[in-house]
Amino acid sequence: MNEESILLFIKIVFAVLVVYWVSIAVSLIYRKIRRARLKKIETTFADIVSRYLYNDPKDPLTFDEIKKRLVKVGIRQRNKNNIQFLIRLMIRTQRTILGRNFSKLQKLYTEIPPYGVSIKKISSWSWYKKARGIREIYEMNQSQYFDEIFKYRDDKNIYVRREAQIALVVFLGWESLRFLPYLKQNMTLWQQIKIVEKLYDHYPKPELKWLHKAYETEKLFGKKLLMRIIRKYELHAEIGYIIDNLNHEDYEVRETAIYCLQTFAVASSTMEYIKQLYDDIPNTTQQGQLLNYIYENSDIDLDFYLKQLYGDNEELKLSIAEILWNNGYKEKVQEFYYQQYPKATLNVG
Amino acid sequence: MKKVLVIQEDIIILKILERLVSLNNFECKAIRSLDELSIEDQETNFDFIITDILFEGIAPLEFVAQVQEVLLHKNLLIVTNMGQDKIKQEIFALRGITGFYAVPIDLDEIEAIIQAY
Repeated sequence: MNEESILLFIKIVFAVLVVYWVSIAVSLIYRKIRRARLKKIETTFADIVSRYLYNDPKDPLTFDEIKKRLVKVGIRQRNKNNIQFLIRLMIRTQRTILGRNFSKLQKLYTEIPPYGVSIKKISSWSWYKKARGIREIYEMNQSQYFDEIFKYRDDKNIYVRREAQIALVVFLGWESLRFLPYLKQNMTLWQQIKIVEKLYDHYPKPELKWLHKAYETEKLFGKKLLMRIIRKYELHAEIGYIIDNLNHEDYEVRETAIYCLQTFAVASSTMEYIKQLYDDIPNTTQQGQLLNYIYENSDIDLDFYLKQLYGDNEELKLSIAEILWNNGYKEKVQEFYYQQYPKATLNVG
Repeated sequence: MKKVLVIQEDIIILKILERLVSLNNFECKAIRSLDELSIEDQETNFDFIITDILFEGIAPLEFVAQVQEVLLHKNLLIVTNMGQDKIKQEIFALRGITGFYAVPIDLDEIEAIIQAY
């Protein structure tokens, strides 16, 4: 390698370094400007919201003034990142406030439309953007886009249909349950819990008409969802639906039924029916869970426990013996113990 | 004029509370952290302090204890995102807490307390 080629190599390395340093400098300056811009948007939005919620009659804040101020800080149709930031602020603020001010805030949001950014996301090819757009729409209560969201309720993508189903619950409330029998795609446990929580937050007063219509569903996830709703709202009159699923052929449906049943205390006649279903449960662990429920929620039924003690289910006999032993029936347990060894002799003295 | 100190890191809650307090004819000082307090502020006896408990570099209970120790005040209201029952119990165990409001909050409740003062 001669002197010229070394010099050329040094020049190239130096040029690369210069480009690298310049790009770092540009990035730092851009970030600084961007941060200042976002801070300005946040401060302006905070000021607008505070003045709107507590409007001073001497210095009233008009919608025109609000729009002008937002445009001034960069909320324009072409600045998509700024609009996205504003949407995040709007959702964050809405989650912070309850009561009269919440309604006022919703009115404000209808007056400062973020140029349909969320609805445009729904047309995107990316499932992520689509799900995000749906979420923004229901979070900001933009019910005018309901029809657009509705068609995604049974989408193949789990995240898209999850957000669409939650949007249905937010916009329609209990009525959204009427679509349950027609859903084909699975609904995860997490999704069921989210739906129950959203329904309870937005519509705390039950509308049983829609619940009864949804009983028609044959889908396993549908049955589990309905049982969770009955549990959350403590609908004592609907407990029959949970009990009917105690001996369902599907393990998870039975599991949900037993879990939901534990929230309720039942009448003695209903408890008798539950005891009848006890033998139909094919899983020992679940039988054990139901046995605990029966023990904790009813008086000691000697015939029932003795039937189980002398029955075929070896795994639960110890639990049943323990219940009898602790509730004044020691002699029955001893009797059962000795009858297992009828020909044994005692090696005493 | 009656004085209120609002300490909230979230600027939106800070501005809303500041506005609420000012429109109820209180003199309001709104800050995002204790670092913004001046020496005069530290000598002022506030009628209300409305504060969050979650700040960087300090545990929530320690922060409340610090506010109680350092700042003169008559009433202390907590407005926070940390609304868990355990936190609430621990905060009230400190004594001298007028109210605890977990986000989401109904601002009318805070306004009613201020107006009744």
